[in-house]
Amino acid sequence: MRAYKAKDNVQAKAYYTDRFYKSPQVPKSPPESDEVFNSDLEAIKSKFEVLDSFIQVEQLVVFINPKDNYGVLELMRDELEYSQLSEMSAIDWVADRGGFEVFYQLLSMNKRKRIRIKMFIKDGDALNSVEKLFRSADWSEREMFDMFGIEALGHPFMKRILMPYDWSGHPLLKTYPLQGDEAASWYEVDKIYGKEAREEIGPENRDSSRVDRYDSDRFSRLGHEVPKGTKITGDEPEVVQPYQEEGGVFLVKKFHKDSTTIVDDPQR
Amino acid sequence: MAQIKNRLTPFFENITFDRDDNELILNFGPQHPSSHGQLRLMLHLQQEQIVKAHPDIGYLHRGMEKMAENMIYNEFMPTTDRMDYIASSSNNYGFALAVEKLIGLEVPRRAKVIRMMLLEINRLMSHLFWLATTALDIGAMTIFLFAFREREYLMDIIEGYCGARLTHAAIRIGGVPLDIQDNFISQLKTFLDELPQNIKDYENLLDTNRIWLMRMEEVGTISKEMSHSWGCSGPMLRASGTAWDIRKEEPYELYDEVEFNVPWSDRGDNFARYRIYMEEMRETAKILYQCIDIYDKCVKDGQTELMAHSPKYISASKLDIMTQNYSLMQHFVLVTQGMRPPVGEVYVATESPKGELGFFINSQGGPYPYRLKLRAPSFYHAGILTDLLPGHYIPDVVSIIGTTNIVFGEVDR
Amino acid sequence: MAQHKVNYTQDGGLPVALTSIDKIVNWGRSNSLWALTYGLACCGIEMMASGASRYDFDRFGTIFRASPRQADVMIVAGTLTKKHAEFIKRLYDQMTEPRWVISMGSCANTGGMFNTYATVQGVDRVIPVDLYLPGCAPRPETLQYGVMLLQQKIRSKQASKAQKAKRLM
Repeated sequence: MRAYKAKDNVQAKAYYTDRFYKSPQVPKSPPESDEVFNSDLEAIKSKFEVLDSFIQVEQLVVFINPKDNYGVLELMRDELEYSQLSEMSAIDWVADRGGFEVFYQLLSMNKRKRIRIKMFIKDGDALNSVEKLFRSADWSEREMFDMFGIEALGHPFMKRILMPYDWSGHPLLKTYPLQGDEAASWYEVDKIYGKEAREEIGPENRDSSRVDRYDSDRFSRLGHEVPKGTKITGDEPEVVQPYQEEGGVFLVKKFHKDSTTIVDDPQR
Repeated sequence: MAQIKNRLTPFFENITFDRDDNELILNFGPQHPSSHGQLRLMLHLQQEQIVKAHPDIGYLHRGMEKMAENMIYNEFMPTTDRMDYIASSSNNYGFALAVEKLIGLEVPRRAKVIRMMLLEINRLMSHLFWLATTALDIGAMTIFLFAFREREYLMDIIEGYCGARLTHAAIRIGGVPLDIQDNFISQLKTFLDELPQNIKDYENLLDTNRIWLMRMEEVGTISKEMSHSWGCSGPMLRASGTAWDIRKEEPYELYDEVEFNVPWSDRGDNFARYRIYMEEMRETAKILYQCIDIYDKCVKDGQTELMAHSPKYISASKLDIMTQNYSLMQHFVLVTQGMRPPVGEVYVATESPKGELGFFINSQGGPYPYRLKLRAPSFYHAGILTDLLPGHYIPDVVSIIGTTNIVFGEVDR
Repeated sequence: MAQHKVNYTQDGGLPVALTSIDKIVNWGRSNSLWALTYGLACCGIEMMASGASRYDFDRFGTIFRASPRQADVMIVAGTLTKKHAEFIKRLYDQMTEPRWVISMGSCANTGGMFNTYATVQGVDRVIPVDLYLPGCAPRPETLQYGVMLLQQKIRSKQASKAQKAKRLM
């Protein structure tokens, strides 16, 4: 019987986990333990609903409602001096919680602080684009759309960025296998030669681990390859692969080692 | 050979000629000698002036983030080499630091200083490479040959340390695998002693060169607001009037113990960026001299530890593995199953030669990261071309791409 | 006027050499292999290094050209992604006969460490390859040796006959 594999999460799994193993947590501290973070958090709390907040690895993490994202980021930029959106992307939680966690990583150069704004959106929902606030979100949101299929409303050019426009599937979803799906494995053939070339080439040629009967062993010793599976006895003569034919090349002088000087000192 | 039939239509079919205006759409790349990799630009031209630029990336997208989700943490280390392949160790370091922050490791001092030396050597290599390629794109072939000559010396030093010229994988999570080789310091000192003269040579060729100045001055000016809005970092940010260097502001390793200046400018144009790269090379040499002193002091104090001691996450030393049963078992588990960092999230930014290199890791307690996001500086520096190129002329495109110093392993990941 | 200081009584006598067409054509071809700059990723940096001051590719007669129409050999240096596959085919078709392809590095050979959805598992799935260079990234010495092997291969072939179709996939 084949082992059951969950289709909703094809990420590599640990093949063995101790039943009694309980993972430790990265320590969290309350936001009150840092003055700057505390005042920032109060400023956000005064206008928007904050679901959760804590400091983890020197950075404040704030959970907000997805509808507030534009407002919160506007507040952060204009009033709290968080002038850079250094990163934004999503985490796929579709299998467990039916949605995505989107995070915005903000940097304030005046305060030397980094804040991560996080929110949870349901699978299939779109979020508000923050491209008008931070231009860097222009490409980040396109990348997020490309990788997860999360659309940003109000984005001027919501198209794929890393994958080609005619690509199917969103690669960073947990349902998407690392080696790609059927369409991905034939992508370049379909594009260059057309779909009918699939039969001519054969699906076995798409398997990167396939061993052909014409394959050879010892292919690095040019001219002395052996068919795959041949027993190599080990008493074969040593082969020196010359870079020129024996007896020299027409009109080209052979390089003689004796008549040259070798400079050993690299610091010369 | 008869041409194999294919479905590819001639490319000009994509372009409409029956437009009312004079706008011409020019396709630049993805395989262009001066596009620093696989950048494709769709340029809308009004005669020679660009009215709209549309950078198209993804031609080197290799799925690194997906790979990371299917690899144990130590396994992913060599893959980070292929991101910014001009300064591989800085990527190794960014990833190692992120995992160390996640599990809360403290790295021994001797490993720290070796890491710092590797990082700064990588910075020099990257800046020299930047100078070589940018100068070549603009037409200064001599600089290309000069800078590559210097870079080869550094590559020899690195090769002596880790065995590879380009893809180093020289840093491990929890420290460094090896001590530096015997002639590392002496070779480095020889190189550093000659570096100021070499930099002066480049500057003599470029600083007052009329062609260089015309291609550089007042071209590609990025305002302070624009640089912040686009998430610029590194020399791109410092050339636009913000003196922000993560090594200085959020010091990691021993950067708070060494003295160096952060060169910055408020001109924001290509020339400012060029000057900042040159000045940074000098500052890097300064840091390296101080690193050598710190290293010598470590040796004198008898600090021999190179890896952090944390049996749960880090394998013991080779000697322990070979002699002690428990270390061997631990090593076996760590190699076959991988370390299991605590549940949590971390975003760690380091100052790579290109700018802010960040690693965001979401760990769910398993041996594989649940999500790993690579924040590459070049990604945003390529994005800024959308806003930067309009208004410039075609020849400026090459010099602007040159000074943004984008590397496509990093942009597309 | 340049002074030709050739002693015709010694260095092989008169400036006349008798040879076959094959030999002279192959001599020309193998010693002026103009390469198309096809730096895709990390290996492209090593390709540049082999063209730069220390390794000096020019002494092989290998000069990098930016146009496929002027190039004889395409050095595919780096990872070929599915998005890019179309363009490598396009550029290969634009090269004039005879043409050769060197696949440089593990990624171009087999996809290398990037066995993912986005990577073509070997450039030989799109264009025929003459020479595979192992390594990640191969050193410039490897590339130089590869070019020398390619020269040897060119010299061993008949020049006058039309090039036989190479096996693809």
